[in-house]
Amino acid sequence: MTDQALIIQFQNGDAKEPAFTQLLKRHRETVFFQIKKMVLEHADADDIAQAVWIKVWNKLDGFKQESAFSTWLFRVAYNETLNFIAQKKRLKTNSTQNEMDHSLEHPSTQNALKETAIQIKLERAIAELPEKQRFVFMLRYYEAFDYEKIASITGTTVGGAKANYHQAVKKMTELLQQA
Amino acid sequence: MGLINDMNDMENESISKNLKEALKSFESRTMQVPAGYFDQFELDLMQKIKAEGQAPQKARIISLFSNQKKYLVAASLVFAIATGYLFFNKAENTTTPIAKVEIINIETLPDELIEAYVNNNELVAEVEWNSAIEATGTNLISINN
Repeated sequence: MTDQALIIQFQNGDAKEPAFTQLLKRHRETVFFQIKKMVLEHADADDIAQAVWIKVWNKLDGFKQESAFSTWLFRVAYNETLNFIAQKKRLKTNSTQNEMDHSLEHPSTQNALKETAIQIKLERAIAELPEKQRFVFMLRYYEAFDYEKIASITGTTVGGAKANYHQAVKKMTELLQQA
Repeated sequence: MGLINDMNDMENESISKNLKEALKSFESRTMQVPAGYFDQFELDLMQKIKAEGQAPQKARIISLFSNQKKYLVAASLVFAIATGYLFFNKAENTTTPIAKVEIINIETLPDELIEAYVNNNELVAEVEWNSAIEATGTNLISINN
């Protein structure tokens, strides 16, 4: 059964839950790992992913299928992730230490022992990328999404998405080359 | 599809070997999840969704006039302008008498009434009398003398 058929089934109200769980099973991993690549912390990624799927449940009735379900789903994930990061940044101003930055800039001692210097550097480089660049890069590099889809997800143009990708590569390369 | 793969390959060629290796290990690190995590995720999510569905909906406050707000504002403006216009226009056109003056011929009044008036308003009458005398240029003293 295609995503489209499952959405129609959901929207018709018959077997709503089975249709939803089918969609969830199909896409939960790609969405979760994309979020985790953005925030790194498992618990944070879990919270965001839950929020994404709850939003999907609540808004799927109004989804007009003008784009592919996966495009819409990743747009929801993109917005939720950016909201989460913005909230964390706001909290950071009130607290002395930020958990996400802590994990990004200073991986736990146990992990640090396992990770090579280059991996730690990369995580730092990723943390320094603007959120949009980071999201675009992850979608392109790991999921091999085409630029049109990425542009639609992140609300930018194809040219903008390409520029974001190349900027991310350039920055990461520079940061890795630094001593 | 082949074209996309070629383009991806071209893009990936521009990425240094170091970065590629780092990105590979980054991926394997982020892909680590506890065993059975996604099944548990689904259970937790469906529980949450059901709990939200059963939770009493928050009462929504709907303004009765939310849609007619602009009409209400317009109507009150028209009312204010109209009443203002009517009020000022009426004030200009009408001359409200401060006191109604009735001209009474003194000859028609009975003597008792005149006496009663004089007795009751002696002081007033005296002042009026004096001013009448002054107006004629005479005085009681000169007459008496």
